[in-house]
Amino acid sequence: MTGGMLCASCKGRGFCGLARCPITARFHSRIGSAPVSSYMGAAPSVFVGSHGYPAVQGGPLLLDDTDRPPDWLARGLSIEDVVNLRAGTISARAPVGRVQGAMAEVALSQKPVDVEVAFSRPVDFDLRFDGVLTPVGRSGPVRRLDVLDNPVVPRAVERVSSDTDLPASEGLTELYRYEVDVYHLADLLAAGTLGKAPRVVPTRWAITAVDDTLGRARKREIVRYPAIEEVLVFGATLYGNTIAVLLAPGGWQYEMVECWRAHSLWTHDHDSVTVDSEGKRKSGYSPIAGAYYSARLAVTDYLALVRRQARALVLRSVSGEYWAPLGTWVVREAARQAMRSPPERFATLAEGAAALDQLYGDASWREKSTLLPRMRAERTLSDFF
Amino acid sequence: MLRATIDADVFREAVDAVAALVSECRLHIDGGGMRTRAVDTANVAMVSLELAPDAFEVFEASERALGIDVTKLKNIVGTVNRGEKLMLSVPEGGQRLNLAFQSYQYSLTLLDPNTIRKDPNAPALELPGRVVLEGARLTNAIKAASVVSDKIALGIDPEARAFFMEAEGDTDNIRFALGSDEVESLSDVRARSLFSLDYLKDMAKAMSRASTVEIGIGIDHPVRFTFEIANGKGRVVYLLAPRIEAD
Repeated sequence: MTGGMLCASCKGRGFCGLARCPITARFHSRIGSAPVSSYMGAAPSVFVGSHGYPAVQGGPLLLDDTDRPPDWLARGLSIEDVVNLRAGTISARAPVGRVQGAMAEVALSQKPVDVEVAFSRPVDFDLRFDGVLTPVGRSGPVRRLDVLDNPVVPRAVERVSSDTDLPASEGLTELYRYEVDVYHLADLLAAGTLGKAPRVVPTRWAITAVDDTLGRARKREIVRYPAIEEVLVFGATLYGNTIAVLLAPGGWQYEMVECWRAHSLWTHDHDSVTVDSEGKRKSGYSPIAGAYYSARLAVTDYLALVRRQARALVLRSVSGEYWAPLGTWVVREAARQAMRSPPERFATLAEGAAALDQLYGDASWREKSTLLPRMRAERTLSDFF
Repeated sequence: MLRATIDADVFREAVDAVAALVSECRLHIDGGGMRTRAVDTANVAMVSLELAPDAFEVFEASERALGIDVTKLKNIVGTVNRGEKLMLSVPEGGQRLNLAFQSYQYSLTLLDPNTIRKDPNAPALELPGRVVLEGARLTNAIKAASVVSDKIALGIDPEARAFFMEAEGDTDNIRFALGSDEVESLSDVRARSLFSLDYLKDMAKAMSRASTVEIGIGIDHPVRFTFEIANGKGRVVYLLAPRIEAD
C-alpha cells in the first residue's frame, strides 16, 4: 500500500498495520553520537507521546535551542539543518504523573529552562518522523529529573494557567489575544497547565487542538464582519510546500486541497490529492490532518486582522524537495508567510482561479474542488439591482 | 423618542424574522411605525420589516434611527413568556432601549447607526412568477429538501399548472409539486431559479407560522417572499439571490 492514497492521509500513523512506517523509516538513520547517561542544560519545550493513551509517557524536551519554528526560519535553516537540530534532541521520558511538575515549569516558561536529568540507562541515537510532529531524536527513560532554573512566565500565562474555572479552550483564545504564540500554547496544553480539569495531552493532539480551537474562535469573530469586495490571491513556498490561498467575496466557507506530487514523500509515481471543506460548522477530523487546521488558522487570522469575511480556498502542493516530514508547523508557517505577503487583486473569480493555477503548478485542483463551482454559481443581490 | 407597548409574541416574531439574516440593523421609528431593511454580510439576502402603529397597543414615536444589536434583542425578547405585554421605550436623545415586562427591566445599549451598514435601496425587481401558499407547506418542503442537498430549485411549470421545488444531491433527489388547486393562487408564467438552502432554512423558520406566503420568482432571478405578521399589521419581505450553475 506504500505510495497509495492511504500514505498521504496517514502520514506515518500506522494505518497500513505495519509496525513501522516504511516511508519514515527511510530517514531512520543511525549515524551519530555516543550514548549518554545524563543531561544538564536547556529544556525549551515538552514532549508527550500518544502511545498507550491515557497512560502516556512524556517529559521535557532536552535541546540547546529555542525550539520555535519562526526562530528557525528567521535564522534561515534548511530542511537538513532542522533535521540535524532535532536529531540532537533527547525527549526525557517517564510516566507523566512522575514528571508533570517539571513539565509544567518548562511549558509555562517563555525561555528554555535549565534542567538536570539522569537516565536509567544510556540513551542511544534515534530519530523519528511523523506527519504532524517535528522530528524527535533520542528518547531517554528518566531516573531523576530536576529543574535548576526559575521559569520565566509571562503574566497572562500565569493568570490563565492558575485559573481553574476557565475552560482550556477559552484559556487558549485568551492567551492568543495576548500574543502568546501557538507553539507555546501547544506546550501549555500538552503539559496539562490549562483548563478546569488539567490533563496531560499527547503533543500531536495538542498541536492540532490549539490550531482548531483558535481557528474556531476566529471563525465566530469573522462571520460578523462584512465580506471582502475583490478576489485576493496569496502565495508562498517553504521547503517545497507551496501554499496558494484564494479569498473571494461571500460568507465564510473554507476548502483545502492538498496534493502530494508524484515522487514526493508519501507518493510513488502519481499525485495523491485530498480535499476537505467546511462552512459555519465542521464535524469530524479532517482527512488532511493537522495541515488543514494550521492553514485555516493562518487564513482566519488574516481575515480577523482586516475585519472581513470571505470564501477561502487553500491549495497545498508538496514537491519532492520536501524530503523529510518536519511537522505541521511547515504548513502553518508557509500559510502565515503567504498571508503576510501582498496579495494579487482581481475583479473576477476566473482571473483569481487562473492565478491559483500558476502558483499551484497546474489546474488539476479544479476537478477536486467543490468550493470553486459553488462560488461560480453564486450571485449576490447587487448583481440584480 | 419611543414609547410603545406590544404583545410579546408579536414582537418576538418580528425580531426573529430579522435575526434570521442579520446580527445588527437600523430600526427606523416615526409616527408611521417601525421599519428596517438590512442585507446580510455576504450580500446574498435581504430582509425588510414593517410594523404599523396599530400593531402596538400604545405607540408614540418621533423620527429616529436606532442602531439595534439584533442578536441581543432576540435573546432578551426570547425570555418573555407568551401572552405577556412588552413595554419599549427610548427617551428623547437616549442611548438605550428599555424593555420592561413582568417584573424585569432590561436596558439594551444602542449601537451607533453610523457603524451599521447603510440601508440598501428598495429593490426594483421584475419577478413575473407569483405563487401564494401556506407558510407551513413551504417550510416543510424546505426542510425535506435539506435532507438531500444544499440547494433547491423553485419554479412554476405553466403546462402542468404547478408550483414545484426540487433538490438534487450527489445521489438522491426530491421533488415536491403543488397543483393550482392546492395553492391559493398561481400565475401561468414559466419560472425556475436555484437557491442555497442555508439561507432558505433560516428564512423558513420565520415563515412557518404565516398563514400565507407570497412568492415572486423568475428565471435565474432572486426570489421574494412576502408575508404578514402581527395579524396583518406588519409585513416581512425576504429577498434571496440565486445560484446560477454554469453549464
